[in-house]
Amino acid sequence: MTKIALDAREMEHPIPLQLAMKYLKEMQEDQYLYMIHRKQPIPLIEIAKEKAFQHLSHLDTHETWHILITKNQYINLKELLDV
Amino acid sequence: MFNQGGLSLEQAPPISVVLKFFITASIFGLFLGAYLTVDSLIDLPDNAYAFDLIIVHLLALGVMASFMFGALFQMLPVLAGVVIKMPQKKSTISHLLLIMGLTLQLLAFIFTEPLLYLLTSLILGMGLLHTSTLMLKELFKINDHSSSSKGMIFALSSFSIAIMLGIYLLLTLGGYIQGDLFTQVKTAHYSFALFGWISLLIIAVSFQVVEMFYVTPKYPTLMSRYLIGLLFILLLLKLIALVINFEPLAIDMVISLLLMSYATITLHRLYHRRRPTSDATVWFWRLGMGLLLLTMLITLLDNTIGVDESIKPLSYLSFIGFTLSIVFAMIYKIIPFLVWFHLSNQGYMEAPMMHDVIHPKRAKIHFWIHSLMLLGWTGAMLLNTKALTALASILTMFSFGWLLYHSVMAWKKYRYTQKYTEKIEW
Repeated sequence: MTKIALDAREMEHPIPLQLAMKYLKEMQEDQYLYMIHRKQPIPLIEIAKEKAFQHLSHLDTHETWHILITKNQYINLKELLDV
Repeated sequence: MFNQGGLSLEQAPPISVVLKFFITASIFGLFLGAYLTVDSLIDLPDNAYAFDLIIVHLLALGVMASFMFGALFQMLPVLAGVVIKMPQKKSTISHLLLIMGLTLQLLAFIFTEPLLYLLTSLILGMGLLHTSTLMLKELFKINDHSSSSKGMIFALSSFSIAIMLGIYLLLTLGGYIQGDLFTQVKTAHYSFALFGWISLLIIAVSFQVVEMFYVTPKYPTLMSRYLIGLLFILLLLKLIALVINFEPLAIDMVISLLLMSYATITLHRLYHRRRPTSDATVWFWRLGMGLLLLTMLITLLDNTIGVDESIKPLSYLSFIGFTLSIVFAMIYKIIPFLVWFHLSNQGYMEAPMMHDVIHPKRAKIHFWIHSLMLLGWTGAMLLNTKALTALASILTMFSFGWLLYHSVMAWKKYRYTQKYTEKIEW
């Protein structure tokens, strides 16, 4: 799986959402988005759900959110989590 | 448009729900500027009492309440996770009652007809109460409150109190009730509307959006958790003090100090942005907070050592400047975001990016028009010259006209993209 990294921790709203939506629209089956954010991006997760993407949100001990999204329904996103 | 609540995209209101309120607010603002311009040029029949009431209510209801209802219909689902079912239908009822009610109110102030006062209290009063209670009802259902959702409850409760006090005033003016407490109720009505409804709502929203939009450090927990509730309690105490004929000087002083500390901390947070880019909205926030500080400083000085009568109107002007600055800061974020977000989510690959909807340079020009308008009014108040009053009035018209033009253009770009560009399934 190819990782599309997006560190949104210092990006102003709504740039993270704009970038993430662009990546999701162009995403292939063998790719996944790995986003790091200071907040949980609920609208992005809702879009992922609505478009039937697989997703995972995880809050680490530094209060940073890790959001993984992929079109691939068979991959285990927990294994790709980098915390 | 934000990211705290449990928003479902199906529950997000259509863009027209929000834009109709924003466009209406700009039209009322334009009308206000035109009214002031005509008055400054051709001396309308002298009725100072009606003139002041018309200006205040055009601003507070026509402009501010319209902007704030539009923003709330959009932000309640996303900031507070609240679902307003059938938003199109409910917002249309709110919108129509607000327009009809305010028009009746302005006519009542002009013609002082008892029947018009009665109709205003029924249509405007019930219309505004309908809107605030439909939002409050949903907010009370939340189990896990954020500082913003709690703040919205206090802001909308203040608004409901201000409306009920307003109905008392209208019925007194119409001669339907004795109105023994008219003066006290009037003071409380203004306090709940300005420091309760408008200020508390701005504070509630700022606790989330300042950090999110500008990547600033968080507000101190003590402030985000307790400030709004404390201000609301102080306003209730002020109401009680007024009713029992006790001068609420100390309460006003504490309110001033609390709002000054809020403005200072917000300015500090904006100064410590992690990304030091400055678009117009940052400047609107800075100006707004600076003006809030000035308003509260004048109020504080007036309550302690007293200020010259010529200075007092400046505090009203700076308060208006504060509220409008923050509203403009929010609108230049909300409109471009909504146009891009709705189109993008609908699958329009050619959805305009935010800066294509309203270019940041256009927002910056509005910032300068708005600042010049405030300077113009300051000059007009201090120097009391006809020419400056006319200039400031024209700038008021120009400021709202600018916003109206860009709001309508944003709507047109939205419709154009839907009509003439290709949609993809993704």
